[in-house]
Amino acid sequence: MLDAFSRAVVSADASTAPVGDLSALKAFVASGNRRLDAVNAIASNASCMVSDAIAGMICENQGLIQAGGNCYPNRRMAACLRDGEIVLRYVTYALLAGDASVLDDRCLNGLKETYAALGVPGTSTVRAVQIMKAQATAHIQDSPSEARAGARLRKMGSPVVDDRCASLVAEAGSYFDRVISALG
Amino acid sequence: MKSVVTTVIAAADAAGRFPSTSDLESVQGSLQRAAARMEAAEKLSGNLDNVAKEAYDACIAKYPYLNNAGEANSTDTFKAKCMRDVKHYMRLISYSLIVGGTGPLDEWGIAGQREVYRALNLPTGPYVAALSFARNRGCAPRDMSAQALTEYNALVDYVINSLS
Repeated sequence: MLDAFSRAVVSADASTAPVGDLSALKAFVASGNRRLDAVNAIASNASCMVSDAIAGMICENQGLIQAGGNCYPNRRMAACLRDGEIVLRYVTYALLAGDASVLDDRCLNGLKETYAALGVPGTSTVRAVQIMKAQATAHIQDSPSEARAGARLRKMGSPVVDDRCASLVAEAGSYFDRVISALG
Repeated sequence: MKSVVTTVIAAADAAGRFPSTSDLESVQGSLQRAAARMEAAEKLSGNLDNVAKEAYDACIAKYPYLNNAGEANSTDTFKAKCMRDVKHYMRLISYSLIVGGTGPLDEWGIAGQREVYRALNLPTGPYVAALSFARNRGCAPRDMSAQALTEYNALVDYVINSLS
């Protein structure tokens, strides 16, 4: 398992040279608290995110919970919720490390083959991951709007940073996209 | 590769839980010291050749018998290899400063070190002399800030301990 720092070191070691450009790592350090807040935002809302993502996936495809569907009976629904949480957990680890190696090695490696062998439908899985990606974006940005929330709008104070952690939103999105392409 | 972040993630993964508040606190503790470590790594990387050369010269000055025929520093090839070894250690120290843990030193420097030196019949004393010189040569604030020098010294000490 690597993080952003050891990734830089491993690639420098390949040419037995010192790490040349430290500016990216310095930026990582300087914005470290934002990253920790982003990880915390996902980890604190994880169970809600997972159940919403799976519920959303089923809403769009009711066949999943009818007899013969892949989320029927409860036993398979429970397995589905568990897998959603596992994927989200490894994405969170990757976001904390700033590197996708933990996600690749411990979650995605062989996942597609496993799901194929178990008969898990890829399109439904991808849909649930897409919903979790949108949720993670919303939680990291923390930008609720009238248009989306309506009467349930709940403002959590003013934004701490003006760009609403755009780079972290993009980075987290890239890890979800990695999951999606690994399943596709 | 062992660092604060990977250790935290490995522990959280073994327990199957999301990163907890205390996990994030540990990572933040590492990030708070990272600025000083980055400074030390940058200064060391920029002067790697000079630092290694000085350390090597100091160790040969202390152990001149190494230049005698049949000893570890007798031929040009041997001299180049000794110099390279010292440079390797300094480079791995700069890596460890960046990672914020001893992972690079452990995996690429110290694992198997004792066996290799025994097999090649190399003395470890001169390495200790070279690294001790590199440790005591550092001076704050001339070379780097005091906190950066502390981080650097801690890692040089770690290597010296592994050799003694």
